[in-house]
Amino acid sequence: MTHQIELENVEKHYGSFHALKTVNLAIPKGQFVALVGPSGCGKSTLLRSIAGLERITSGVLRIEGERVNDLPPRKRDLAMVFQSYALYPHMSVRDNLTYALRLKGASKAERAKKAEEVAAIIGLENLLDRRPKALSGGQRQRVAMGRAIIRNPRAFLFDEPLSNLDAALRVRMRKEVRALHDRLGATSVYVTHDQIEAMTMADHVVVMRLGVIEQQGAPLELYERPANRFVAGFIGSPAMNFVPGTMAADGASVVLDLEGAPTLPTAIKAEPGLKVDVGLRPEHLTMGAPGVAGSATIGIAAVESTGSSCFLFADGDPELIITTDGSTNVKAGDQVGLTIAPERIHLFDPESEMALRSGE
Amino acid sequence: MTRVNANRVMLVIAIMLAALYLFPLYWMYVTSLKTNSSIFAVPPEFLPGEPQWENYATIWDVANIPRFIWNSLVIATGVTVITGIVGAGAAYVLARYRNGWIDAALFTVLMLQVLPPSLMVTPIFVGFAWIGLLDFPRFAAILAISAKTMPFFVILCRAAFMTIPRELEEAALVDGNSRAGAFFMIVLPLARNGILISALLVFMQGFGEYVYSASIIADNRLQPASIGMTNFLQPNVVNWNAIMAFAATYVTPILAAFVLLQRQIVNGLTAGALK
Amino acid sequence: MGRWVQGLRDGIGFDTMLVLFALLYLFFFAGLPLIYNIVISFQSVDVFSLGSLVHPVVGIDNYTAIFADPLAQRVLINTLIFTIGSVTIQFTFGFALALFFHQRFPGATWIRGLFLAAWVMPGLVVGVLWNWLLSGDFGVINHVLESVGLIDEPVFWRSDVDTSLYSVLIANIWYGTPFNMILLAVGLAAIPDDLYEAAELDGATAFQRFWTITLPMMRPTIGAVLALGTIFTLQQFDLFAAITQGGPAGSSTVAQYWSWELSFREFDFGRGAVISVLMIVVVLFVSLIYVRSTKAETQL
Repeated sequence: MTHQIELENVEKHYGSFHALKTVNLAIPKGQFVALVGPSGCGKSTLLRSIAGLERITSGVLRIEGERVNDLPPRKRDLAMVFQSYALYPHMSVRDNLTYALRLKGASKAERAKKAEEVAAIIGLENLLDRRPKALSGGQRQRVAMGRAIIRNPRAFLFDEPLSNLDAALRVRMRKEVRALHDRLGATSVYVTHDQIEAMTMADHVVVMRLGVIEQQGAPLELYERPANRFVAGFIGSPAMNFVPGTMAADGASVVLDLEGAPTLPTAIKAEPGLKVDVGLRPEHLTMGAPGVAGSATIGIAAVESTGSSCFLFADGDPELIITTDGSTNVKAGDQVGLTIAPERIHLFDPESEMALRSGE
Repeated sequence: MTRVNANRVMLVIAIMLAALYLFPLYWMYVTSLKTNSSIFAVPPEFLPGEPQWENYATIWDVANIPRFIWNSLVIATGVTVITGIVGAGAAYVLARYRNGWIDAALFTVLMLQVLPPSLMVTPIFVGFAWIGLLDFPRFAAILAISAKTMPFFVILCRAAFMTIPRELEEAALVDGNSRAGAFFMIVLPLARNGILISALLVFMQGFGEYVYSASIIADNRLQPASIGMTNFLQPNVVNWNAIMAFAATYVTPILAAFVLLQRQIVNGLTAGALK
Repeated sequence: MGRWVQGLRDGIGFDTMLVLFALLYLFFFAGLPLIYNIVISFQSVDVFSLGSLVHPVVGIDNYTAIFADPLAQRVLINTLIFTIGSVTIQFTFGFALALFFHQRFPGATWIRGLFLAAWVMPGLVVGVLWNWLLSGDFGVINHVLESVGLIDEPVFWRSDVDTSLYSVLIANIWYGTPFNMILLAVGLAAIPDDLYEAAELDGATAFQRFWTITLPMMRPTIGAVLALGTIFTLQQFDLFAAITQGGPAGSSTVAQYWSWELSFREFDFGRGAVISVLMIVVVLFVSLIYVRSTKAETQL
C-alpha cells in the first residue's frame, strides 16, 4: 500500500547536534497522526522536515510514494498551520485565505467562490473583510486553518496550533479540528506537547524523546501497554507512579518496596529476585479504611479537589498520587488503606527502562 | 550548495563590498603618507612607496592643527553638555506619557530637527549680531549648534528611556522617593548607556560641524578644524598629502570611537529613528 | 512657597519643568529665528545694519529679485536633480545592501555596521576626500574608469560645468547610503520568519515572497526612509562647501547653498532669507510625511 507520507530511516543533524535519529514513520491516507513529546524531542523538526522547511540529512521522505527529499516546500502541496498562525497582517481575511490561489493565477470569481466556501466551513463568513489584528485568537486560528483547507493539500501539518489559546477554547477547538479532519477526509500530522490533545484527537500517536521515536501506536495501546518507562510516565495525567520492587522467589509475584503493601501476583514473567520498577497509575489505586488486611497504610499529605475528581498526595518517598472520582472525606493528615489492582500494574527494568511483558 | 558554503561565499562578497565602500577612507590614509611627487604618480600608487610619517609632524606645526582641534573639542564639548542637560529631561518626560500635550511637543521636536543649518544660519546670525553674541564666537556657535542637535538627541534618548519599565520607578516612589529622586537615582543610571551613546553621536556632530562655525566665527584663532581644512582648499591645490594628513588627524578619533562602539551606535540609531 | 517647590520635585511640576526647559531653549534658538527669518525676508539687511534689530522694510522687493534672478532657474533644477538623484540612488543601493545582509550569514551584522563609518564622519572631511578622489588629472577614480575602459580621457568632475553637480551627487550617495541601509535593514528584520515560511508552503517563489510580503509590509519603513533621506539631502551643505563651492558659474549651486552665499558672500541677508523661507516650507512639508510614516509604523 502506498502511504500518504512515509519516512524511512530519516536522520537530521544540525552541525554536530543529532536532532532526529533513525525515524521510521508510515502514515496512510486519512489518518490523524499526533507527534508528541517534551521540549526538544524533535517533533517540530520532524514536522518541518516533512514540510521541506528543513532538509533531512539522510534517509528517504516520500509523499504519495514519490521521493521528495530535494523538492522545495512550495512544490510539495502540503499545508501548514503555524503556532503563531502566521497570518499576513497586511491582507484581509479573504486575501489571506486566497493567497495560494492568487499565486496559481486563479480568476477573481473562482477565488471569491472558494473563499466563501471555506469561510462557511470555518464559520467566519462575516469576517472576510477584516484584518488579522481585528480578530480574536480563536478567530485567527480558524483563518489559519481555512488558509490550509482552501488548498486541498495532500496533507495538513499542524505545529502546536492550539497552544496560544486559553484552556476553554482549546477544548472546543480540539473537537473542531478533528471534526474538520474527518469531514475533509484529510491526512493530518499534528505536533503538540500536550498528551491529552494527542490522546483525544489522534488515530495514531507517536511519542518522541531526544530525536528518537520511543513508541508509536493507537492511543489506547500506548496507555495500556507502554513500551518503556518514559512513555508510561508521559501518557496519562496525572503521571504514573513508580515504586521500586523485587520479584518474589516464585517468579509470579512482585514485592513492593512500600510498607505494608501486599505481594502482588502478576502474569508478567521475570526472574525471581530481579529488581523492578513497578508502575501504578493514580486512577488504578483505590482507597479504603486504614489497617485493613491486603492494603498498604499510607498517610495523606495534601488533597486537591476539582469538584469532579480528587487528587490525593501521599507523604513518604516516593510520593504517590491517587485519583478518585467525585469527592472524598479524606483530609490532609489522615491515614488511608491503599489497594492496588494487580492486573493493572506495569513492570519496568530499572536499567534499560524497558517494559517487562507477560509472555503469551 | 550547502548552507555552510553559501554562508562563506556571502561573507566573502560582504567583505569585498565593505572594502569597496571604505576605499575612500583607505585612500585618505594612503595619500597622507605619500611624498609630494608620488601623489601625482600615474598610475596612482595604491600602496605608499615609503610611508612619510613626517607629513603628520609637518602638518601639525604648519597648519596649526592643535589649535584647530582644540577649538573643535571646545565646541563639541559645549554642544554635548548643553544638549545633554537640556534634552535629557525632556526626553524622559516625552517617553513617560502620551497625551495631547505630549504629542504636540513630540511633533514640534520632530519637526525642528529637519531645519537645515544652512538656512537657519541667516536669521540666527542677524539675531546674534543684534544681541552682541557675536563677540563670543565659540559660545554663539555652541548655542546655535545645540539647537540643531537637540531634537535628534531628545528622540534618541526618548527611545532609551522607553526601554526602562515603569514598574521600577513606581517601586521607587512606593519606597519613599520623590519623582525627582526616582529620576536621578533610578531611571538615569539605568538609561545611562543609551544616553551616553546619544551623547557620543551629538559630540561627533559638534566635532564635525561646519556651517554655523564658518558663519559665526570670524576670528581664525577660534575656528574649529572643519574650517581649518577649507583653508587648504585653494583652486589649484597641490599638497594633497598634507591635506589628507590633516583630514586623517581630524577624523581618526571619531573613527576609532565608532569602530569600538559600532554595535551600540547602530542600536541607538535604529531605535530612535523608527519610533 | 514650600508647596510650589514640592510641586517641582514631585508631580506634574517636575515633568512640566523638564519639558519646558527644552522647549524654551528650542523656541529661542530655533522657533524665534524661524519667525525672524520671515521678517528679514521683507527687509534690507547688510553688514552695516547688522547691529540693529529693525531694518528698512522693502516689502516684496527681495522676493521679486530672487524670482527674477537668472540663477534662480538653474538653482531650482540643480536642487531637484540633486535631491531626487540622491534619494533614489541612496535608497536603491541601501535596499539592495539591506537585502543582502538580511541573509544572516555569520559576520553579517558586524560588516554591515562598518558601512556606517562614513555616516559619522564630518561632512567636510567627506567632501575633501571626494574632492581628491574626483580630481581631474590625478584622482584615482578617473584612473580606474580609464583602466576599465569606461572613459577615454579624464573627466574634470569638479571644474566642468556639466559634471560639477554630479561630483557632489556621487559624494552624497556615498555619504547617505549606509543610513538608508540600516533603517531598511531594521524594517526587514521586523517581518517574522514564519510569514515567509507560510508563503513558501502556499507556493510562492522567492520573487513572489518579496513582492507580496516584503514590500507591502515595508511600506511605512520605506516611506520614513525616503522622507528622512529627502530631509537630510536638503540639509546637505558641507559637501558643496568642500567640493565645488557652488561653481563653476553656479552649475552646482543648490538652494540651501545659494541662501548661504547670498548672506555670507554677498552680505545680502534679506535675499538669503527669502530662499531660506521658501526652502523651509518645502522641508517642513516633507517632514510631515515622515511623521505620518512613523505613526503608521506602529500600527501594523
